[in-house]
Amino acid sequence: MKWYKFGKPSGRLIGQVDEFIVHSDSILEVEDSTAVKRVNYHKVPGEFVFAYGPSTGGLMESVGFDLFTPGELINHVDVDPNFKKRTLQVKGKSVQDALLVVERINGFHSVSNSIAFASAVEDALGIEISDEIRHTRILMMELERIRSHLEVVKRVCEPAGFGVPSNQIGYLREEVSRIISRATGHRFFFSSNGVGTVHFNANGIVPALDKIVNEFDHIFRGLLQSKIFLNRLQNNGRAHHPNLLGPAARASGLSVDARMDSGTISYKDIDFNPVLQEEADSFARFMVRSREIFQSAEIIRSLENVGDFKSADISVSGSGEGAARVESPQGDLFYYVNLEDGVVEDLKMVSPSYMNILAFEDSIVGNIFTDFHFNWESFGIWVSEIGVEIR
Amino acid sequence: MLQLLVVLLFGVAAILGALNRKLGYAGMLVSAVIFGLVQFTPASYLSYFSLISSFVWVFVAIYSFSYGEHYGKWLSSMLPLTIMGMALILISTNYLVLITGWEIMSVPSYVIIALNKKEDMPAAVFMLFSEFSTVFLIAGVAYAYSISGTLNIIALNDYLPMLLISLAGLTKMGMTPFMISEWLPIAHGNAPANASAVLSSTMTLMGVFVIMRLVFLSPLVIYIGIFFLIIGGLSIIFAAIYAYISENMKMLAGFSTIENNASILSAIGLYIIAFSPTLRSFILIVIIIFSLAHSLSKTGLFLAIGNTGGEFFGEITGFSNRWNNVGTFLTTISLSGLFPTIGGLGVWMLLESFFMEAYSGGFTGIMAIIVGSVLALGEGMATGALLKVLSFGNLFHRSNRGRRSIGSFTVMALGGFLVFMLSISILVFPSSFISGIPGVLIFNGFMITSKFGSADFGVLSPDYIILLISVFSILAYAIFRKPRHRTVPVWNGGRDIADIYTSYAYSNNIRLMLRKILRTRIGNQNQSITVMDVFWYAMLRTGKAYKSVCKYITLRFMNSSIGWYMIYMIAAFMITLIISVELI
Repeated sequence: MKWYKFGKPSGRLIGQVDEFIVHSDSILEVEDSTAVKRVNYHKVPGEFVFAYGPSTGGLMESVGFDLFTPGELINHVDVDPNFKKRTLQVKGKSVQDALLVVERINGFHSVSNSIAFASAVEDALGIEISDEIRHTRILMMELERIRSHLEVVKRVCEPAGFGVPSNQIGYLREEVSRIISRATGHRFFFSSNGVGTVHFNANGIVPALDKIVNEFDHIFRGLLQSKIFLNRLQNNGRAHHPNLLGPAARASGLSVDARMDSGTISYKDIDFNPVLQEEADSFARFMVRSREIFQSAEIIRSLENVGDFKSADISVSGSGEGAARVESPQGDLFYYVNLEDGVVEDLKMVSPSYMNILAFEDSIVGNIFTDFHFNWESFGIWVSEIGVEIR
Repeated sequence: MLQLLVVLLFGVAAILGALNRKLGYAGMLVSAVIFGLVQFTPASYLSYFSLISSFVWVFVAIYSFSYGEHYGKWLSSMLPLTIMGMALILISTNYLVLITGWEIMSVPSYVIIALNKKEDMPAAVFMLFSEFSTVFLIAGVAYAYSISGTLNIIALNDYLPMLLISLAGLTKMGMTPFMISEWLPIAHGNAPANASAVLSSTMTLMGVFVIMRLVFLSPLVIYIGIFFLIIGGLSIIFAAIYAYISENMKMLAGFSTIENNASILSAIGLYIIAFSPTLRSFILIVIIIFSLAHSLSKTGLFLAIGNTGGEFFGEITGFSNRWNNVGTFLTTISLSGLFPTIGGLGVWMLLESFFMEAYSGGFTGIMAIIVGSVLALGEGMATGALLKVLSFGNLFHRSNRGRRSIGSFTVMALGGFLVFMLSISILVFPSSFISGIPGVLIFNGFMITSKFGSADFGVLSPDYIILLISVFSILAYAIFRKPRHRTVPVWNGGRDIADIYTSYAYSNNIRLMLRKILRTRIGNQNQSITVMDVFWYAMLRTGKAYKSVCKYITLRFMNSSIGWYMIYMIAAFMITLIISVELI
């Protein structure tokens, strides 16, 4: 493994999957598969458990919340993402077949998953990728980040009953999907990325993206003028969790970004600094995501060398183990593969959603019910990445 | 003489109660019926208080046959005795008889509270405030004697006796200028349910009675009216808030008592400041209707709470049945000021009075608008509190397998009586207040109008409301027959129901929203949220500060010093002498 080693914890905690506790620079093998876990909480007199979800209004994915409350006030929450748990058969499949499954774990973050998986395979087999492929992958990931952040900002608007900006942003998200569709042949990047290869046509992306970003800028400024909207976000769900990942971490002032500290897809030749906010509340998370939309557009504009790129497919064979970590729109996304003659013997994925759920559980304490949706949506957690068991 | 003999019947009932529980309550029942029949004269305004009291005592006596068998015979003895004190107050024509009745009413109540849980605090609190009220009463009587030269209760040419005796009444009603809440709920909430009903309904009614009695005999000064309005308004809103957040059902009912009494006090205040004879005669009816509604409904509420088998919402053990639920429903909607119960009429009339006074303009008009608004707010909050009793105390989370008992029958009968009282309430209205608008099918005789100046206020008469409800219900049944219904399982987000909504959570929004007033604290280890009764807290702090000052003076200046003690005695004697001479 080029970027990872087994051994003592080193660097930031990324999460746990089975017996792997993954840090930014190392993998620690433990026997307890639930070493990274939430706090046990017991009801105090006067409290009851309000069950919200999984099948109810206001939630995009199937997730259940047990809200411990004496009424209105939330004293504790347990998040259960396993109501619609999917079991995906990957082990024993060829890399190409496994990739088809991996990129469907979370369609919204398909490219992050497929690039992380492909990079882990490339690490296992010692395949070097060219700068052109790396830049194309960066472009794809930034495009995915824009779409994902637009979706999260849209969802933050919904609890406030802001139908107009919500639908306007939904329209912009759709426009980004159409750009992706034109560039890859699929709205969710499916089959556009492979081991040591990538298929992407970047022609005409920048002008179309500029139009979208300008329109978003207008909506974003409008939202910042709305005191009603800001009141619902500011001081709501302050999260100062040390193990936060992605935009939620950057919203609490932590300079945490796999684009800065992961060797998998290096941004070293890109003019880029993480967007930071200090407030650590829903407003800060909304701000970080909004500002990253502009930043990602800027990164895409800087990648002038990427055009209509279609590298040749390479045959995948050989054995080895590899690991990769990329900055998905939600945060650090980690993949580990163990190959045997081109067949996946073992595959492990750590989604940033798990650590961010723990942070969300901390942040909601002391808030009231009406704050709940704003806070939950501002974290941009994707339950589909957690409620999955890879076999 | 006959009246005194009837009062003594309650004493006989007390003696019987000491020998046999049911015999005592039977004696109480007979005495109450005879007392009501002897005392009530339709033309005498004050005799309505006797009638209201009789109604309450009759229902309590019937209920008591099947209630509290585990209580000793002391309860069936002390309860008629405390009622004897009230009866003595109601028949009194002499201040000495009034004071005697006041004390006879208080002392057995103290014993009931003290023996109920064998706790010192609630009984001591009750006795402390009872004696406060006695001090005010004696002071008022002394001053009345000094200006009239007689202990007979006669017309006075000074308002001060009325003010002092009103303070005695206010204390009994759970209100004083310095202490708005808490003592009454603590005391009444710690008695057996039947005794709580008597204390909360008729003991507080005695406060209203003595105030009204002195109001009729004294010159009316606008400042006293404003004073009553301010005390009433403050008490309404705070009592309603504390009722809403209370987890002890009996204390909730106690706070509701304060809220109701404060409404009556506001009406009395309005009576004093109103100059219009029409409005004054309307308010007099308001006071009687509201007192009737409060006394009967509060009795029903305490009896219904008694049927739950617990004091806190979380410790309800008793079974329920349909009779009990219907009775509790009617009781709580009456206390919420809703038709078709007498409470609906009482609240409508009370608010109507304030509207009318608002039309008179000027300072009193502004006062009427402010207090009327507070009253409406308090009524809304009280409705929320009573819905809590109805839903968490009776309808939800309580097994409906209970057998029909005398207790549940009494609650049901009381609920029905509230509707019956509404249907005959038109009898207390002078014909000048009865009219109609035939053009819109409100025939003459089916509308109550206040006939106040150019602006007429009115409402459908209670009979017409009951008639309309009955006719349309029968019509709906005739057309649609028995409603078809289907039962579906509760949807809980796709999960099994693992927990239930609590009464604590029901009222927690107010704890959080009014955190400045309630001093809401979050994060206690055992109880996630705590609140504080700021008035009770202030009183305790004042008491502690007073104790500290006394201790300091005692130790610093008077510690074994006969000289300082003599100076203190002489100074105290001289001050008392000067005040007495001034008063005389």
